[in-house]
Amino acid sequence: MATDPPATLAAWLRTRSDEQLGALLALRPDVARPAPSDVVGLATRLAVPVSVDRALDELDAGTLQVLDAVLLSPTDGMSRADLAAALPDAPVEAALELLTARALLWGDDVVHAPEPVRRAVRFPAGLGRPRTPPPADVEGDLATVDDEERTVLEALAQDNPLGRLPVDHSTRADAADESPARRLLRRGLLTRVDAATVELPRQYGLALRGDRPYGPTRTRPEPTTTHRDPEVTDRRAAGAALEVVGRVGELLAAVEEDPAGLLRSGGMAIRDQKRLAKALGVDERQAAFHIEVAHAAGLLDLGGPHRDEWLPSRGYDTWREQPLPERWALLAAGWLDSLRVIALVGQRDPAGKAVNVLSPDVVRHTVPAVRRAVLATLGELPAGEGLATDDLLDLLRWQSPRRGDRYTLVPALVEEAERLGVVVAGRLSSGGRGLLAAGEEGAADGMRGLLPEPVDHVLAQPDLSLVAPGPLVPELARTLATVADVESSGGATVFRVDEGSIRRALDSGWSASELHDFFARASRTPVPQALDYLVDDVARQHGRLRVGAIESYVRSDDHGLLSQVLSDKRSAPAELRRLAPGVLVSGLPADEVLAVLRTAGYAPAGESAGGAVLTRPPGRPRATARPGGRPAAGPRPLRAEEVEATVREIRAGDAALAARRTDPARQIPGVTTASTLELLSRAVREQLPVWLGYVDAQGSGSRRTVQPLTLGGGFLSGFDEGRGEERTFAVHRITSVDLVDRG
Amino acid sequence: MSDGPLIVQSDKTLLLEVDHPQSKECRAAIAPFAELERSPEHVHTYRVTPLALWNARAAGHDAEQVVDALVRFSRYPVPHALLVDVADTMDRFGRLTLANNPVHGLVLTTTDRAVLTEVARSKKVAPMLGARIDDDTIQVHASERGRLKQALLKVGWPAEDLAGYVDGQAHPIELDQADWHLRDYQQEAVDGFWAGGSGVVVLPCGAGKTLVGAAAMAEAKATTLILVTNTVAGRQWKRELIARTTLTEEEIGEYSGERKEIRPVTIATYQVITTRRKGEYRHLDLFDAQDWGLIVYDEVHLLPAPIFRLAADLQSRRRLGLTATLVREDGREDDVFSLIGPKRYDAPWRDIEAQGYIAPAECIEVRVALDDEERMTYAVAEPEERYKIAATAQSKMPVIRRILERHPEEQKLVIGAYLDQLEELGTALDAPVIQGSTTNKERERLFAAFRTGEIKTLVVSKVANFSIDLPEAAVAVQVSGTFGSRQEEAQRLGRVLRPKADGRTAHFYTVVSRDTLDSEYAAHRQRFLAEQGYAYTIVDAADLAGRGEVNGPDWVEPTAD
Repeated sequence: MATDPPATLAAWLRTRSDEQLGALLALRPDVARPAPSDVVGLATRLAVPVSVDRALDELDAGTLQVLDAVLLSPTDGMSRADLAAALPDAPVEAALELLTARALLWGDDVVHAPEPVRRAVRFPAGLGRPRTPPPADVEGDLATVDDEERTVLEALAQDNPLGRLPVDHSTRADAADESPARRLLRRGLLTRVDAATVELPRQYGLALRGDRPYGPTRTRPEPTTTHRDPEVTDRRAAGAALEVVGRVGELLAAVEEDPAGLLRSGGMAIRDQKRLAKALGVDERQAAFHIEVAHAAGLLDLGGPHRDEWLPSRGYDTWREQPLPERWALLAAGWLDSLRVIALVGQRDPAGKAVNVLSPDVVRHTVPAVRRAVLATLGELPAGEGLATDDLLDLLRWQSPRRGDRYTLVPALVEEAERLGVVVAGRLSSGGRGLLAAGEEGAADGMRGLLPEPVDHVLAQPDLSLVAPGPLVPELARTLATVADVESSGGATVFRVDEGSIRRALDSGWSASELHDFFARASRTPVPQALDYLVDDVARQHGRLRVGAIESYVRSDDHGLLSQVLSDKRSAPAELRRLAPGVLVSGLPADEVLAVLRTAGYAPAGESAGGAVLTRPPGRPRATARPGGRPAAGPRPLRAEEVEATVREIRAGDAALAARRTDPARQIPGVTTASTLELLSRAVREQLPVWLGYVDAQGSGSRRTVQPLTLGGGFLSGFDEGRGEERTFAVHRITSVDLVDRG
Repeated sequence: MSDGPLIVQSDKTLLLEVDHPQSKECRAAIAPFAELERSPEHVHTYRVTPLALWNARAAGHDAEQVVDALVRFSRYPVPHALLVDVADTMDRFGRLTLANNPVHGLVLTTTDRAVLTEVARSKKVAPMLGARIDDDTIQVHASERGRLKQALLKVGWPAEDLAGYVDGQAHPIELDQADWHLRDYQQEAVDGFWAGGSGVVVLPCGAGKTLVGAAAMAEAKATTLILVTNTVAGRQWKRELIARTTLTEEEIGEYSGERKEIRPVTIATYQVITTRRKGEYRHLDLFDAQDWGLIVYDEVHLLPAPIFRLAADLQSRRRLGLTATLVREDGREDDVFSLIGPKRYDAPWRDIEAQGYIAPAECIEVRVALDDEERMTYAVAEPEERYKIAATAQSKMPVIRRILERHPEEQKLVIGAYLDQLEELGTALDAPVIQGSTTNKERERLFAAFRTGEIKTLVVSKVANFSIDLPEAAVAVQVSGTFGSRQEEAQRLGRVLRPKADGRTAHFYTVVSRDTLDSEYAAHRQRFLAEQGYAYTIVDAADLAGRGEVNGPDWVEPTAD
């Protein structure tokens, strides 16, 4: 009895060691949450299509080929020896290890594919489904095709058995003009999938492939790498980093000065994007990149009184005070985890409308995983070795071929990574390595020492330019932003002082002598006489006209009367002061002053109110950054103790189950077994509430009480009592059903 | 991190720290592919332009050398995008070639068929192309050579010009260096020009541009056409050529309003060439009068470009442009580049001053406060009148007199733009006035008297902006100018930059009405000189110290800082 191989997946799982079960849970964490009650429950959970798809997605092409061989086997189950013979060049054992560890295949000497896995792989080895009934004479049928038709068949016998039918222009009468595909369809060598799609049946596909039914062996591509001194790579990465940090800083300063509006469809208007591109001196695509990076890092977000303006966030105030490596790291980390596909900005949607920058239309939940895959693949190369983007793509496609469609983004992502300095010419920079390994902190550590130290001085020149020969310490940068205009930026910054900028400084409270002091202190070269003269000259003019804000005035031709009012204690609450002979002013509104004067016994008459001068609001408006931060990509990995506890629970449940095998209603071992449906139908008919064990599309399980309403088309709809709403449940995701005993 | 002298900015400007020990070496490395934009005291600004990169390619530099120079001297990591852009830009050069085909004459050929197809489709280029000879070759009419090259530059596919130059009719010319020697920078300028075939040499006024021209002629040893701004300048050229070369008086002709001589070396004025009668340019056939081997354009920034387009076959002749500043107020520097050729040599003014070849100069702006009546007139004046009212204000008069009194012993020029103001100055200062209507003969007489010291002060209009050699002038007082013209400012400063026998410092005063358009324009004009390294001192008229007083002229010694 003990030597008999297990007959089902559940039985096989029961034979696995605790370590193996633990490993399974770690590899497929979605089945472990919530913990299945026993091995049967585990087997049920493993059969959930979403979970199977997710597990298959992580496999490389070589492993999938071994799986394909099992799936194509005419018998249920294939011995290890047969497999090795079928794929002579492939590392079959290693692949089987990966597949059985994930329970995508089960069995010891003879491996079996569970039904859900068969369903999940639609075209094993790129072969179509078998034709039913099977063709009587495959070789004979193939012998009748002409060259044109053979070309079609051979094309479909490659990786993809599906083909599109050409549009049929021929009339029914002249059948001779039919396209070869249509002729094949008529003769049954192709089968129809829908109006425009045909499929090559497996029997013909196998025959056309001859002695290589599984196609060429999918071994790992070994692209040639090129070597370059890592130090050079890091220097260039630092160059890019410096550039991107500088540009984002300029961008945010420009947005601070003049916020960008929110479009009704979300995103930022092209007009604002163009304006910012001009301010940054770059083209619109680059401007879009920097705007998106600033947004991803949480430095640019919606704000303003109506949350309809793009503004620097509060984080910006902290960010700009940080040292360069930290500033860069925040940008790089924000980019890595961003759900937004920057490359789609500016592309036209099917309606022909260009996608706006920051538009919600470019969110793709898979993109952080693709970014990580790109960086991880480059990170596996030895230091200094680099990959061309095409080779990188080949490697990624081999690593997870089922995700191939996501990789169309890779060239754009690599370009972005290069622009950020995470990647340089197909090599991960030190900063990029740090980012991948240890997130933001790692990125900052990797970049530290490569970026220039801030300088605390400028060089003043006779042409009234100030050259800051490096990134400035924040305090000096802030001051210079007031007293001078930026002319050129990059590693260094060139400022220009002119009448306007000096006036601006005087307006914001600087005095001429403070400016002289500042220039003398900040400049390492002697301050040119022309600069000192300019300061004095502008200061001399400054403030010759005075502007102030008052609420009301009191005027009279009788100066004596005004003096009397001014010295009268009773009129003190009016807060009057003398502005000029014949004019008193007050900060209080005219009606209050009138009231005070009247109470004091004077007989004032109101004049039309004077215009109040608006002053600028003291603080700049700030956006509140999104709460929560970044969503996690994929399920959270299980901790070791979680795994252990879950395995223990399953074993215990299993023992309990064995004890009450006779009670079928408690636990339904299949997914959509007859008893499940029967129970559900009965519940609908008799309007009985049921307990449902349910696994949602994200793979997380729950247990809820539902009042079923209808059952049909594979869906159960009912009132979820726990959530207080009507919901629809896919029957195949229901893991257990029981009637609620409302005794 | 290296500690190089160069900072590479993402906007493609290069900042070179002058006091850095490696700065000379760095300057030599970046000069081939970057244009010197500004050279103030401490940090010089260069700009990497596509044109400069292509010129570097034409001169045999490749992208790797450029990238290497940037990376090697850069203090900070060089922006990656910039390096990529440099490589891309340089890669565009040489895909198209202009060459002489023995059968078809001038042809445009390519190594990249797609590029030729692209440019042949371009609306700007297509009209200049002739018949297509084969897939890679298109015929070009010889007269379109210059315009085609310019159009190709604009569409971003510069052609390498291998069609060469005609040698012209040979004529023996040698430099006569018995009692003088060509200076190093002059020799470098000539070498740069000759290696490039055609182009512009930029040297400050007084740095001996005429000699660069003479040396180029000695190199060409062929008949030469020299184009100058006016007759007086033409005669100066003639005198210099006779003194410094083996050429004799008989070999040099003058082609001007007064005389029409055509000799192996002919000096013509721009004015005579642009003279029209009955709507036709009468003198364009001058270009065909001889098989010229070299054409020299003096003060090339004044070149009336549209006319020179008419002279069709000039592109096959060597052309040398000479100027002190390539700044054109009409922004048409490109015309000069396309007609004459790219800049072949440029040197910071202060470098040449440091070598002692031009006089050190002190630039002083004197600000004069207008009196109340003048302020009122200014305030209510029409916008187009305002500058004239400010520039010719009566309040300037005593200040000008005071400035002249600071330099009793020296030769002084008072330069203005408004004739009535000049007349008034002439009367008030008791000095002769030279302006547009003064005859050549009278001008020559006055200049001669000034050179000998017989006349101490001359009042001149803008006719004296160019090419007047007055070596003894040591003080210039600028009272009004042509709005904000930077190039005029440079030329006027040039009047006093001839090295003085005793190494004295020259003085360049600008008298400006405070708080008016006059001071705004002055600031704009000075920008150019400040960028050349000349520091302006600005003083109030009331603070202008007299001779011997504190801060007065005798007290300020030219300090070597």
